[in-house]
Parts: sequence; C-alpha cells; structure tokens
Amino acid sequence: MKSGKFWAWVVFALGAAYFFIPLIATVEFSLRMRRGAYSFDAYQIVLGDPRFQATFGYSVLAAVCTIILGVLIVVPAAYWIRLRLPQLRPVVEFITLLPLVIPAIVIVFGYIRMYGSNSPLPFLASDMGTNALLVIGYAMLALPYMYRAVDTGLRTIDVRTLTEAAQILGAGWGTIIGRVILPNVLIAVLSGAFLTFAIVIGEFTMASLLNRPAFGPYLQNVGANRAYEPAALAIIAFAITWGCMSLIQILSRFAPRSANRPN
Amino acid sequence: MTDLSLSDHAVAGKTAPPAEARSLRLPTQWLGVAPFFLFAIMFLILPTLYLMLGAFQNDAGEFTLENIAALAQPSIVSAYWISIKVSLASSLIGAFAGLAIAIAIVRGGLPEWIRSATLTFSGVASNFAGVPLAFAFIATLGRLGLATVILNTLFGLNIYAHGFNILSFWGLTLTYVYFQIPLMVVIIVPAIDGLKKEWGEAAATLGATMAQYWRMVVIPVIWPSFLGTVILLFANAFGAIATAYALTGSSLNIVPILLYAQIRGDVLHNAHLGYAIAFGMIVITGLANVFYIWFRTRSERWLK
Amino acid sequence: MFKFTGKVLSLSAATLMVSSVISSAASMDDLVKAAKAEGQLTTIALPHDWCGYGDVIAGFKAKYPEITVNELNPDAGSGDEVEAIKANKDNKGPQAPDVIDVGLSFGPTAKADGLIQPYKVSTWDSIPDSAKDADGYWTGDYYGVLSFLVNKDLVKESPADWADLLKPEFANTVALAGDPRASNQAIQAVYAAGLSGGAAAGEAAGTAGLDFFKKLNAAGNFVPVIGKPATLAQGQTPILVTWDYNALAGRDTLKGNPPVDVVVPKTGVVAGVYVQAISAYAPHPNAAKLWLEYLYSDEGQIGWLKGYCHPIRFNDLAKNGKLPADVMAKLPPAEAYTAAVFPTLDEQGKSKEAITKNWDAVVGANVK
Repeated sequence: MKSGKFWAWVVFALGAAYFFIPLIATVEFSLRMRRGAYSFDAYQIVLGDPRFQATFGYSVLAAVCTIILGVLIVVPAAYWIRLRLPQLRPVVEFITLLPLVIPAIVIVFGYIRMYGSNSPLPFLASDMGTNALLVIGYAMLALPYMYRAVDTGLRTIDVRTLTEAAQILGAGWGTIIGRVILPNVLIAVLSGAFLTFAIVIGEFTMASLLNRPAFGPYLQNVGANRAYEPAALAIIAFAITWGCMSLIQILSRFAPRSANRPN
Repeated sequence: MTDLSLSDHAVAGKTAPPAEARSLRLPTQWLGVAPFFLFAIMFLILPTLYLMLGAFQNDAGEFTLENIAALAQPSIVSAYWISIKVSLASSLIGAFAGLAIAIAIVRGGLPEWIRSATLTFSGVASNFAGVPLAFAFIATLGRLGLATVILNTLFGLNIYAHGFNILSFWGLTLTYVYFQIPLMVVIIVPAIDGLKKEWGEAAATLGATMAQYWRMVVIPVIWPSFLGTVILLFANAFGAIATAYALTGSSLNIVPILLYAQIRGDVLHNAHLGYAIAFGMIVITGLANVFYIWFRTRSERWLK
Repeated sequence: MFKFTGKVLSLSAATLMVSSVISSAASMDDLVKAAKAEGQLTTIALPHDWCGYGDVIAGFKAKYPEITVNELNPDAGSGDEVEAIKANKDNKGPQAPDVIDVGLSFGPTAKADGLIQPYKVSTWDSIPDSAKDADGYWTGDYYGVLSFLVNKDLVKESPADWADLLKPEFANTVALAGDPRASNQAIQAVYAAGLSGGAAAGEAAGTAGLDFFKKLNAAGNFVPVIGKPATLAQGQTPILVTWDYNALAGRDTLKGNPPVDVVVPKTGVVAGVYVQAISAYAPHPNAAKLWLEYLYSDEGQIGWLKGYCHPIRFNDLAKNGKLPADVMAKLPPAEAYTAAVFPTLDEQGKSKEAITKNWDAVVGANVK
C-alpha cells in the first residue's frame, strides 16, 4: 500500500505539472503588458470592464438553467434505458455523440430557420423565447457529457434492486427517480454538471448567432485584436469558473446522504 | 461471481414481466424516454437535417451526389485520415493518463482536498480549448516559450535543435490531451467511486493479490465505462476545430478546418461541400460507435 | 450648332443636378424619418478595432440617437455574413443582419443569389466605377494594402520588400494573418508576393506567390501559425503580413510594448477592397439606407480614415482638400500607395482558385 501511495503522488505531481505549466506561461505573458516590468495592467483593464460582469452573470444563470434541464432530460432516459429498454442504448449513445461532431454553427442555423419569427414555434420572436432556445441548445451541446456521466453513475448502483424495493414500498415513478435513484447518482450528475457549466461559460457560436449577451462572445470580442488582455481574460475566466465549480461542489455536500456517498 | 454489470445480456434475460403487467408498464418506460427523444429530435436532429439534405444538393437545389463524390479528393481524404489519427492518439493517451490520475486521487490515499480540487479543476480544464489553449502552449513550448527558454538557459537543452516542434502532429496531440485527460477524470471518478470497499476486503479475505483484485474485480467493472468514455474522447477530438486552427492553422489539414473553410470561409464558400464533409464526419462517428459497441460486447464476454 | 447644343445640354445637366440635389435633400429627410420609425439597425462582422468602426458606429449613434445599433458577431468572416442573411430569410428578429461588409468578390455572388437589395447613396458619383456595382447592389467602402507588421524587439532591421523576407536573418519569423485556403487576407498576401516577383496579374501571380512561399518555407523563415498581435508580441510570429489598417491598429493597441514597424513593401502592393450591401431580407431597410448614407458622407469616410483605412472616396476628398492633416500624418507615406494595384474580380477569382487548390501541395507546410 505504501508503494501505492508513492505512485499516486508521482502521477498526481506529473499531472499537476502538465496542467499548470501552460497556465503559468499564460500568466507570465499577461503580466508583461507594461514594458520592462511585470504588472497587473492587463487584469485591471479586463476586470474594470462593466460588460465583463454583465455577460458573466448572464452565462452563469444560463449554465444553471442548462444543468437543470440536462438532468431532467437525461436522468430519466438513462434510467429507463438501463432498466427496461436496453435495445435503445446504441441509438441513444449515437445520438449523444452527435453534438460533438455536428458543428454548433450548423445547429444554430437550423434553429434560426426552424424557430425564426415566422415559424409555428417562434422562439426567436421574443427575448425570453430566444433565451429558452439558447438554454436548450446548450443542453444539447452538453448532452454527450451529461449522458456519459449519468450512465457511468447508474452502472455503479444496482438499479433493479433499488427500483423493486421502492416499488414494494409503494413508491410511484416520480418518487423512485427523484428520491431513490437521483441521490445515489448525485456524484455522477455533479460531474456532468461541472462539464455543462464549463461548456456554457465558454460557448461562443450559439450565443453569438442568437445574439445573446453571453460571456463567450464577450471573450471573443476582447481577444480579437489585443495582445495581453486575452491572456489575462483567459486566466480570469479559468479562475472564476473554477471558483464557481468549487462552490457547486461545496453546496452538494448538503445534499441528502446515500449508501453510495457515506461521507 | 455476482453479476454486477447491467449488461444487455443480463437485463434481457431477467426482465420478462407478465403479459398484462407488460401492457400496463409499456407506456411508462416510453414516457420516461420521451422527453429525451423529443428534445433530441426537435433541437438536434431536425435542425441538422438541413445539413444532411444540403450535402446532397447543389446551389440550384437539385439532388446530386457530386458533393459526396467530391469527398474523394486527396486533400479531403488525407484530412479525414489525419483527423482520425489525431483523435485516436489524443483519446487513447488522454484515456489512460486520465484513468491513472482518477485512480490516484480516489484510491491513492491522497488527502481529501486534492480529490475535490482536481475534480473541479478538471471540469474547467475539459473545456479550456481553442485560442487560449493554443496560445498557452505556444507561450510554453513555442520557440520563445517559457519552458523552451528555461530549458535552454538553465539546462542547456535546446529542444528545437533536437527536432521538437509544437507546430506538428505530436504538438497538436499534446495540446489536445489538455482537455481530454480532464474529461476522462471527471467521468470515470464516479465509476471508481462505485468500487465498493467491501469488494476489496472480500477479495483480500479470499486471498487475492492486488494484481488479481485489479484484474478480476476492478477492470471488469470499470471497463464498459472506460470504453464508453474513450469513444466520447474520440468524438470530442474529432469535432474539435478551434484549438487546431489556432495552433497549426495553415499547416495541418484536418477535417473540421476544411469544413469551416467551406461553410464560413472568406473565399471557398461552397456550403454544400461543407455539409458533405460534416456528413462524412457523422458517418465516421457512427462507424466508431458501432466499433465501440462491438468491442465492448466482445470484451464484456471475455471479461466475465 | 454644336456650341448651342452643348450649352443646352450643360444647362439641362445643371438643372438636373440642382433638382436632384433638391429632391435628394427632401428624400433624405424622409429617409431619416422612416429610419427613426424603424428604430434599430443590425450590423454584423464589425470589430471595433477594424477601420475604426468603434468610433464610426458611435458617431452614427450620436447623430441619430433614436436608432439603436445592434451589433452581431464581430468575429464573422465574409462567408459568415452571407450565411447569416440566408439563414434569417424568414426571421425578422434581432438575429437578422440589415447590412453587410464583405470582401469584393462576395458582392457579385451575393447579388446573383438574390441576397442583397440595391441602393445608390447620394455621393454615388464620387465613387470610382471599378469599386461599385452598376445597378447599385453593392458599393466599395474602403481599402487597404498589404503590409508587414514587424516586432522591433526581435527583428533588428525591418524588411523593405517581399524579397527581403527570404533572407536568413528572418528565420522563423514570417506569418500570415489567416489561412491561405480560406481567408481573403492571406490569399491576397500570397498574390502580392507573386506580383512582387514580376508575374502577370491573375493566375500567374497566384502560382508565383505559391512558389515564393514554398521557398520561404524551405528556408525555414515561414511560421505556419495564424498570426495575431498576441503571437507577434509573444514572439512566435515576429513579422506579420496583414492589411495596413490592421497593422496600424495593432501598433496602437500594443502601445510600444513591443515597439513595432509598419512597412508597406516596395513592390507587390496589393489593395483589397471591401463592399457594403443591404440585405434583401433586412428587417430595417430604411435604417440600413441611412447607415449607408452616413458611411459615404464625408464624416463617415473620414471616420474610416481615422481607423487607418483608405475610404473609397479618398481621391474625391483629397481633391476637395477635406483630408485632415493630423490623420494623414499617422498613415504610412502616400508614396507607398502610388504603386498600389487593385486586382479585378476576374484576376482575384483566378488567383484565388490557384492558391486555395495548390497551397497544400506546393508549399507543403504540411505537418507530419
């Protein structure tokens, strides 16, 4: 076991080095804005921009909505497929891989054509409608990750036994999924939530083409012709997103305990 | 050994509800997956059908196979090939490295805060791609990158003189791995979490060595999830464009760059060819998915 | 008799001009009213750093505060703008662009696809014929020439011409600002290199340009990264081939850190023209027309000049002495522009074909 711990540290150290060195290099470059001396000028410029807070706030809200929508769509589907409809699994897995290879720009152009102001489902006719369409689009983009995470989580619990036990005790399907299954796969759902959050914060194409004031277009705008500010912005975005996720992580500690999460 | 994996085989064998109950239950399970399919059809499949149709049309709107035929051009074929190679390399490297890190933080006896910090960091890093990532690697391993300069001045090691170049296939793979590893870590940690302590204790009680425990308990349990994540990593790399574009823009010919050149470019702008290229990508992803399912079924049988 | 006819003709021409001035003034008021009634203008692909668009848009907003300007995707390329019009044919929401600003070759193709509508601005006659569509579907708005942006921290002596770039002291320095298989800027750079070598305009210059870059790559001077001010400052791409207005704007943002040089090459000076057009499906056509009127007024044109672009009515403004001296002082010397070549649509088309198809094969900056 001792050697196990040693190797764990080695692996962790190597991983940490690989991930932090490029970030350090970016920070080093962003500090070079003032000639001849390291300074936080680039950071001051970025943080002082009122659009930074506005767009970031918008994207955080969109991310939370996307996570909720994603959970509502994916968890029941993954559960039923695991339990009763295994023959649908290949179809569903293929569908969940599609958002990765279909360019977001194609999906958005499809939305504009199908849900424009003249269509039977005019999402784009109003601000709230467009926001809703954006959240749905994000949920589609995050589908691969959310599904894979939830599916992995469902594998680790005995879905059949839990379901049958809950049914014997008289639970309806809503209770089963909401109060029995979901708490047990919370870690996996949390993983999916992290990935969704990161995707939504950085997403550019959909927000830009649907003309929404999100963080992605703002990032792109600043990065276009500046030299030092984009590096500072990348680091700030990274740090803040990491902070938000840690917050989600901490809040999840207050979730109901389950056999799968004894701590 | 208890059948812990809910493979198709197991479930199909055990669920055969009585006839009347089946007709009562049928609506519920289809209702359960209905939202998923409804959303997928309305917001994923239908909007991209325009692209599928566009692949088979020309500018005049007539049906034609010339766009598909145009995919056989050497430049496009080599682009697909390089894309597949980069995706395979980065997904395999990312998968195994990610697995190692995941095992290290969950089972390695490391302090608790390392696990949560790594998980949240991985969540962010899995989406750190595009221009910021490419720039970070240029700033690290470019000719005037921080690491290059430090290695040169402090250790006298000029990596460029030894043939290293960040603007190359392996440079691009190295950069891709930056978001592949975290993706693997985030997804596989719950699976490793699911390895109950009791199993390890039971195995030890029965006299199994560490190696046997890993080979007969851990790997079979994690294998399906691992494989599923590998294909996710593959598709993730296959569809990634922003990073490649920013890093090796005009020197590396990968499929998403070609696709974007046709759909978005200032110059080429044959949108139908772009749609055909995207159609080809979907086909390849489908084939990869088929291969994954075949491989998983076979290996699950072998692992039992 | 001819003298008499001449007098009559010139008199009637004068009357026509006066009446058209009067009628255009009246119609201008109508246009302003109609545009204000629409209340919004949606633009696309106008980065604030590009040709000083930030200030131009601000100027428009200050002049017509009742019209809000909704700016879509500033990162869009010309292809994106055309696709946006196509996608939004049935959508009158804020995602649909009213006006587009695209590369020269996109004008005729957009017209052929029925995506734009004609409008002749009041200053129509002072715009050179080669830079506008005869029916008014698209109008050239500004141009710039290709130049070298040089990081003086890393490059001691700036190159003066294309041939200089091949010298050994410029190893690992030269980069294009786009992908030569897709970006107009990069393709024109290859074309310019070809022209500088003495090749004939059109396809020959395209092929010659490819040969030049092949030599550049073989000499180890070419860096196949898409260059930006960030990569220039970081050191990966110390010499960047880009439009002069982008280079000058980059010089401004870098503020001397690092100090840069903007060099217009002695030979192979290629001018790239961009054109304005109104979308045929524009939700706010009158606001779009008012926008065009503003852009082609003296105020708009000088706004672009302040952004280091040469407005299309440059010669007209110069003739009437309307060019502010302080703005002119910031641009490269005027002699550099005397050798500027304006490729025709035909030449552009043929060279584009040659360059995009053969870049991978000839230059082979392909990655192993």
